[in-house]
Amino acid sequence: MLQTIGYFIRRVGRNLRQTPVLCSAAIGTVAVALMIIAFFGIVVINVQQVARQWSREIQVVAYFDRVPDAGKLQGWKASLKNLEEVQQVHFVSREEAFKRFQKRLGDDADLLEGVERDFLPASLEIVLHEERRNKAGVEAVVARLRQIGELQDISYEPEWLERFDAFVGLLRVGGFVFGGFLLFAALFIVSNTIKLTLYARREEIEIMTLVGGTPLFIKMPFLLEGALQGLAGGLLALIGAWALFSLMLREGLHGVLVVAGVDGILFLSATQQAILAAGGLALGLVGSLLSLRKFVRI
Amino acid sequence: MIQLYNVCMSYQKDASALTDFSLKVPKGDFLYLTGSSGAGKSTLLKLLYGAEKPSRGQILVNGMNITRMRSWRIPLLRRKIGIVFQDFKLISTRTLFENVAFPLEVQGKKRYEISNKVYQALKHVGLQGKLNRLPLQLSGGEQQRAAIARALVTDPLILLADEPTGNLDDDVANDIMELFKGANARGTTVVFATHDREMIRRFPRRIVVLDKGRLVEDHTP
Repeated sequence: MLQTIGYFIRRVGRNLRQTPVLCSAAIGTVAVALMIIAFFGIVVINVQQVARQWSREIQVVAYFDRVPDAGKLQGWKASLKNLEEVQQVHFVSREEAFKRFQKRLGDDADLLEGVERDFLPASLEIVLHEERRNKAGVEAVVARLRQIGELQDISYEPEWLERFDAFVGLLRVGGFVFGGFLLFAALFIVSNTIKLTLYARREEIEIMTLVGGTPLFIKMPFLLEGALQGLAGGLLALIGAWALFSLMLREGLHGVLVVAGVDGILFLSATQQAILAAGGLALGLVGSLLSLRKFVRI
Repeated sequence: MIQLYNVCMSYQKDASALTDFSLKVPKGDFLYLTGSSGAGKSTLLKLLYGAEKPSRGQILVNGMNITRMRSWRIPLLRRKIGIVFQDFKLISTRTLFENVAFPLEVQGKKRYEISNKVYQALKHVGLQGKLNRLPLQLSGGEQQRAAIARALVTDPLILLADEPTGNLDDDVANDIMELFKGANARGTTVVFATHDREMIRRFPRRIVVLDKGRLVEDHTP
């Protein structure tokens, strides 16, 4: 077993040394393909960041006709907190509402002089869990609130919610479609590049079959080689994506995102970087496997 | 060692490469397979090493019915067969040593065993001094000797040769023929496809003549 593994490793090393140009072409192809995917990934991550930022504004505010007594209020708060959509329920008294309004007016706060401090209604501010910040989540909360008879008004901006849902949906579908297309295109290109390296070694493959090589024995060095080239391409793509990010994206996207209310621009997380490198390995492996099907025929 | 019963083979519907072909080759036999181009010699050899499946009939090689053999067992069959081609089929980027070592590596032999056997095989064909050369640095005759060394290095039961002297001049062809005779003398069954009648005259053995895929003559001088 160890001897066979040693043989495969020696063969991979020798193959890589013998066809450096084709090997570099395969690594380069994987690198470019994954760099495009990484670039797209960075854009998606940051647009998602914008969506997350916007979703923070999704909350339901219920205004009271009269200030409820403490017992009732506790009951309603508890009942709302029991909903799986709800993360937090905060009671805003008339006094607190007045102070907030005053603060918001800033230098113009003197406009409120002479106004009674209890002219604003008390309210309940309901914050939803991040994953429930959508139209369905908000409507579930609103339905519960409607059961409370003492409410004057419920504010939740249904039109904005619809637009937000559509935006998130578009982002998700677009991400899957475009990402899937990129992945498929990358696989196609990588597979064809590997096919070229196999074509250059077709006599070797033919002779291996003629002298009694089993399909697995013949394929294994090529699969290892493909995986190694894919991994190298994946790592190269990470370096390239980082360079591209530092030189172009960071400045370019930052301006756009600041307008959208997001503080900083994100690069791929450690897990995403590991997935990209592993993706390179998988791309090389699957690309080799697809190409070998045509070349290794016993 | 080799038995064919009513074998038919066609690549296209209306063109038959072999028709109702039956043959028995005993262990240790030396057999010329002859006939004009397109007679079916190469097709027959391909059937024997499992590169093609017959459309009809049965083929037994060393007791194994290869017409019913599952594809994963074909490599095991080929390890018992040495094959020599007209165009040598050596890997141009590998040295002679590496080329001859190939079948042993495929069989998972140990490295010291490979070194020893490859050296002996190359010595047997007179190429022990050129084991680090690449095939294209050798003459045609030397390349064919290396191909024979590769075919014999595993001590096969059967040696199949498809026009092995077709590209070589007479003197070199005679040397090559001596190697086949030597292998046969050590017990290897040899099936030698050729259309070189002069060669057959110089080294007379059993002759099987094919014409348009049919066996038309089978005699031993």
